[in-house]
Order: sequence, then C-alpha cells, then structure tokens
Amino acid sequence: MQNAKDTFYVTLQSRLAALNSARTIVVRGVVRPGTLVEENELPSAGVSVDAFCLQWTGLQMNSAGPLPLVAMECSIQYATDGTPGSGGMDRGRMLAAMDAELAAAIGAEPHAVAKMNYSAAEAGSAPTAMGTNVFWADPVFSAATAVGERLERTSTVLVFAYQEAGEL
Amino acid sequence: MSDLVSATGAAARATDVLLRATGGRTVMLRMPAPAVPTDVNEQLGIATPAFQDIPLGPVVYRKARATVAEGKAAKWEMLVSATVVENLVGSLTYASASVLFSAAYGVLSDDELLEIVSATQEQVFGQPYVYRLVLRAPLIQMA
Repeated sequence: MQNAKDTFYVTLQSRLAALNSARTIVVRGVVRPGTLVEENELPSAGVSVDAFCLQWTGLQMNSAGPLPLVAMECSIQYATDGTPGSGGMDRGRMLAAMDAELAAAIGAEPHAVAKMNYSAAEAGSAPTAMGTNVFWADPVFSAATAVGERLERTSTVLVFAYQEAGEL
Repeated sequence: MSDLVSATGAAARATDVLLRATGGRTVMLRMPAPAVPTDVNEQLGIATPAFQDIPLGPVVYRKARATVAEGKAAKWEMLVSATVVENLVGSLTYASASVLFSAAYGVLSDDELLEIVSATQEQVFGQPYVYRLVLRAPLIQMA
C-alpha cells in the first residue's frame, strides 16, 4: 500500500508541477513544488495555502482475485486567500485555477503508472519498478467552504493497486 | 524622551529584567535541519531531518497551570524575551521571528516537547519587547 501511495504522490506532484511550475511552497527553508503529503511532514498547526495537501483516508481491500486489490481514498485539500495585491478579491479565481490544475493532472492520460518502490532505494538513487500498476478514478470535488477570507475545497480520488507478495 | 526609549531598546531590557526576576528560566527551541532540495525520500517520510536544540531564555510561563479542557490537549502560555529572539533570528538568518517560530518543531521544556500553536509579539514604539507563545502538550497527555 505504501508503495502505491508514494507512486501516486510523486506522479501527481510531477504532473501538477508541469502544469504550473510557479505553484511552490517553502518547507523547512527549501522551495519545492506545491504538493505535499500531510502524514509525511512534521506536525504543524498551520494550513498551507495555494498548495495541494494530500491525506490518505479511506481504505478497502478485495481479496477475491489472485492478488488483493487495494482501494485507497486520497483526500486532496487546498485553500487560498487570494493575492494580497488584490485584497483577496481574486480568491474565487485562484480556487478555480487550482480546481482546473488538479482536474487536468488527475484526468490526464494515462490513468495508470507502474508502481515504484522508493523505500528500497538508497538516497539519491532511482526507485525500482514493481510488477503491477497503480491506477485511479476521476476526482470528486466537494463544495467550496469559506472560512473567513479563506476559500477551501477538498477533492477525493480513489487510487487502486494490487498488493504484491511481501509488499508492505 | 520617547525617541530615547525606542532607540535604546529600554522596553526589551526592562522586560528581560522582569522575566528574570519572576523566575525566568531557559527552555530549548527544537529546530529541524533545512530540507534537502529534490530529495524525494524526505517528501515521502522515508528520510527524517536532524534536529538542533537551541537555548531560549529567559522565558516565563504566564500561568503556573496549563489551560485544560476535556477532550483537548493542555495549553501553556509562555513569555519569551524579545532580545534573545532577535538574536536568534539574526544568527540563524531567518527573515523574521514569525518565520523562526513557524519553522520550529516545538519547545523542549523539562523533557517534554510542546508544539508551538501560535506566536505573537507585544510592541512599544514599533519595537517588540516580548513574544507570547501558545504551546500545546502532546496528545498522549490529553485529559
């Protein structure tokens, strides 16, 4: 399961960065593409605005086939305050831009990539490809919510993968 | 007179004296090492950063007891000398105190790591003289 989560995150991050390379966040002093997995970062009370924050929520497993099929729900939260220069009046447009970027990144073909094993790789070396694919459905967008001057939305995606023998 | 007070940082020094006189102590500010650029292992939670504990003092807990509500983690309020914060911001080359505290992982006090929930400052003549940190106890200690 962890390999599927890692593969989906890396794929989504690279697709989003290709669509809009200007969307970045600063994490511990380093600028990187504006996508992160919450459970992989240091605990923080702060909310990352103008970035996509992935949370792995639901999990189902179907053991009927030769390999167990795992269905994982990925909740992608994003929020924006708009730009200070426009007094936040463009926050609707900023949220719409994030909606479009996310829809394009997840909806782009192919809807499947080879599952990669990142944990076995040494630092700086390439991950190893596994025997099965990770594939996903179209995103489902929730209603936008306004918290003060902030607009937020959560999109959920079902990510599927086969659990290979010996895989964590 | 007001120019003299603002230019010399008298308010910050007076606050330092007050903090020390009211039982000021030293705690440790736990800072994570900067992230490694383009290291996907850190983004995947495989590699974890090193931490550095930096002395922070004088500080005083505003109340002797934590604020406790059922089902929520205990919260503490800590007053921190602006002098030491300004020195840290300069020596660690952070843009501001707010960036320093948002980058910090927590405050180590009596072997207990408290998360920084918020950091605000009090000013006189535009100069901060004390910082107020709201700290949260670990969830494992929840009432």
